[in-house]
Amino acid sequence: MTSEKKRQYGSVWTALGLLVLVGVVLLIVSHDFLAMRVDPPIYPGAGVTRVVRLSSYSQAVVNTGADTDIYFLEGNEPGGTVLLLGGTHPNEPAASLAAITVIENAVVKKGRFIVIPRANHSAFTYSEPLEGYPQTYTIETSGGSRIFRYGSRATNPIDQWPDPVIYMNTSGQSLAGAEVRNLNRSYPGNEHGYLTERLAYAIVSLIKQEKVDMAIDLHEASPEYPVINTIVAHERALDIAAEASMLLEFEGMDIGVERSPKNLRGLSHREWGDATDTLALLMEAANPAQGRLRGRTDQALIVTGKDKYYVRAAEHGFLYVPFSEAGHPVEERVGRHLQAFSTLVDVFNEHHQDRSVIATGIPHLSQLLHDGLGAYLAPPKS
Amino acid sequence: MTWIYQGITLILILFVGWNLFREKRLAEQMVAAIVLIPLILRVLMIR
Repeated sequence: MTSEKKRQYGSVWTALGLLVLVGVVLLIVSHDFLAMRVDPPIYPGAGVTRVVRLSSYSQAVVNTGADTDIYFLEGNEPGGTVLLLGGTHPNEPAASLAAITVIENAVVKKGRFIVIPRANHSAFTYSEPLEGYPQTYTIETSGGSRIFRYGSRATNPIDQWPDPVIYMNTSGQSLAGAEVRNLNRSYPGNEHGYLTERLAYAIVSLIKQEKVDMAIDLHEASPEYPVINTIVAHERALDIAAEASMLLEFEGMDIGVERSPKNLRGLSHREWGDATDTLALLMEAANPAQGRLRGRTDQALIVTGKDKYYVRAAEHGFLYVPFSEAGHPVEERVGRHLQAFSTLVDVFNEHHQDRSVIATGIPHLSQLLHDGLGAYLAPPKS
Repeated sequence: MTWIYQGITLILILFVGWNLFREKRLAEQMVAAIVLIPLILRVLMIR
């Protein structure tokens, strides 16, 4: 009894002390978590003619964490409209970086680009610490370091809670409950539904209101995922995707084409094409930071794409992309997206000469591999 | 729905806080203090 009492040591004073300690920890971690809600700056290039908010197309996302910036790059001559979407899944950084590179470099002569670099803005505001992901990663530019957020696949639970046990999306497909916060399972969306469905609805509203001719949703996937280094095309966009793929193969870029399955509902390449007149496409690049076979997960893995365990997995034939010691650096992944984007626009122009979109300044894969991504990102401004 | 969620979390915070002061074993007090951190972060909608 006496020895038990001796081991207790707790009192009101220790409770108060611990409470102060809790307060200190809360201050430190809150600073970190709240910093995730501040958007790293994007520096619009000479080609950007205006920036609007997604909520201007639908009240469904007004005053929510899902509202996001939309960049217009408009030419002097009338032509078609191409939508480029990055950041549907903020843990797929090459998608958002490719969209930002277009915003900061492209100049449109005819027609227009509409670019959304942070499609699921809410998902950029938190990371998945249990996956070991860092909150940020850095790209070196000629004038200093640019810091970007490494977010999550799904909408922040702070913005949308709770998840149902089973999620039946707006197209009637049953999915795991957590998919309720996945933008690319929520199309064509619902004006009065979950926040992510409202976000999907707003993006579809934008496509309809702006009469987007071709819409491209950029993604990344793990090297062991079969749909990779691929263009997934709605059946109305299949000709363009196939022709672009052949041209890219001639240029030395290995890229496949997949037809959007009709029974895979809620995804951009299916629902954009079904719900609107746009030619819907989705592209995937290989990101080892997303894979289950990866080793140490840090900024270096995100940026350099090097991982010794993936090299071994490739040797055993477990992967759907080649994987050497050189890895798949962010320059390569962004370069693939940008070259494929340019080629898709070129092929679209051949098929729709009355609605063509002509632009300059979009770097190709070889340029990015030679110069580095930082050469095509504006230096940070104070 | 979020208000109900925050209400439940607040009740949990009060119970855990009460336990923190009532508990005489230091190790248990430390456990209560650690449990409070995510609960407070969630009730304030920070994380």
